[in-house]
Amino acid sequence: MKKRGWMILLGLMALTFVSGRIPFTGKPYPLKYPASFGNRINIPPGNPLTKEGVYLGRRLFYEKMLSANNKISCGTCHMQRLAFTDGKAFSTGIGGVPTDRNAMSLANLLWVKNFFWDGRASSLEQQALTPLTAPHEMGQLPAISAGKLRRSKLYPGLFRAAFGTNTISGEEIVKALAQFERTLISAGSPYDRYLDGQYQPDSAALRGMQLFMTAPTPERKVRGANCGHCHGGPKLYIELFHNNGLDSIPRDAGREKQTGIAADKGRFRVPTLRNIALTAPYMHDGRFGTLEDVLDHYSDHIRNSPSLSPVLRNNSNEAGGVSLRLSKQEQKDIIAFLQLLTDSSFITNPAFSNPFN
Amino acid sequence: MQYKLTTCLLITLFSAATAFSQTISVEGEVIHPLKLSAADIGKMPKKEITAADRDGKPHRYSGVPVTAILQQAGVTLGAQLKGENMSKYLLVKSGDGYEVLFSLAELDSAFTDRVIILADQVDGQPLPDGKGPFRIIVPGEKKPARWIWEVTTMAVRFAKD
Repeated sequence: MKKRGWMILLGLMALTFVSGRIPFTGKPYPLKYPASFGNRINIPPGNPLTKEGVYLGRRLFYEKMLSANNKISCGTCHMQRLAFTDGKAFSTGIGGVPTDRNAMSLANLLWVKNFFWDGRASSLEQQALTPLTAPHEMGQLPAISAGKLRRSKLYPGLFRAAFGTNTISGEEIVKALAQFERTLISAGSPYDRYLDGQYQPDSAALRGMQLFMTAPTPERKVRGANCGHCHGGPKLYIELFHNNGLDSIPRDAGREKQTGIAADKGRFRVPTLRNIALTAPYMHDGRFGTLEDVLDHYSDHIRNSPSLSPVLRNNSNEAGGVSLRLSKQEQKDIIAFLQLLTDSSFITNPAFSNPFN
Repeated sequence: MQYKLTTCLLITLFSAATAFSQTISVEGEVIHPLKLSAADIGKMPKKEITAADRDGKPHRYSGVPVTAILQQAGVTLGAQLKGENMSKYLLVKSGDGYEVLFSLAELDSAFTDRVIILADQVDGQPLPDGKGPFRIIVPGEKKPARWIWEVTTMAVRFAKD
């Protein structure tokens, strides 16, 4: 029995030798995150994280050769100091024409299953293809980008180290970008330290947190804002798509454009509130310039429609109210809590910064 | 009056459109994967239960037992729910992305008298906008967090450890 085992092993080794196809493995990239984030992470089997792949992905994230005019990189609209947003309602790519939707913050994407405001991409690899190729974003086919990178001095070696290949292809470009994006973990805000018992919020932030986590129940005189119903948990979001009452008849139909289902009209991703103080303007169309505007919306301006989120119906501090009806002080307290979600270690982490600087 | 009538008509048309445009997919560890339309579900045996929603007030919910749907798909219930099948679960998914889980044993009438239904009516009316056309109703639970609305998928899986 033992002898036969050895024979099989020797046979396999011989086969590997003859075919010359020794499977390539880079150095595994260790992911570190709090246990409370859970392990429902998304890494496709064909693209495990390696140190070499993540490093290449970081360079490509900031590489302007990936755009048709060699002036735009992913990092142009996803700036680390703004938690990987650009401070604009809509971004402009190579042609100066604004995008359709607000550039999203990139944090804790490792746990996200469906990307974009409408969830239409089911992996980061697939997601990356849109901004790379969209005519008014970076406007260049991956095959052309691959050609440019092949002619550079630096990249052939980096791709060899990351993927063991002597050629560079579009598929490897998006794989490396996805690997880097999966490492963008934000878990170092004062709120994280509070959850860990290491930080004491001031009284305004504590009042705000109480409102954030509580559903309003006017009949029992319980005041709340119920934000945590969708933006709760240590990651500060649940992967949901809701119509949050911005318009009765939305100009952008959101998820309905993908599904054709009327219930999806005006539905967009419930985004993470991590680093929310850094990622203005807010909503899929950047219509709100400040957190005060956002609180004002939920407090007093929910617009009814057939696809309005059931969570935002009958969700008021006044019996029969259609919006939350929070006092100005309550809104200020909630904003004081939202400030605790800013992770300064995330926006200054050298591992995420532009290697060309 | 005319305005009211038109509104009623529009609302009816809208509800009908949502009801018919959405199907429930029954998939995973099943013998017969199903795509159930509202009409298909309408033909199944009805069950009515009274339970309190988040408002704390009791409501009459009418629909079909979840087990009737699973039986039609050939899921291992009843005499077959033993051995390795005890590590199977039902994951119910909503159109908004929400998901909730039931073990097969907590649904099966061989294990429990509690009947969990897929409801299409509350107090004799279709479910309201946003919660329909189908919603899971779990009687006897203190929180309605598993009363998942806008059900689109019922997936039976093996828990893998």
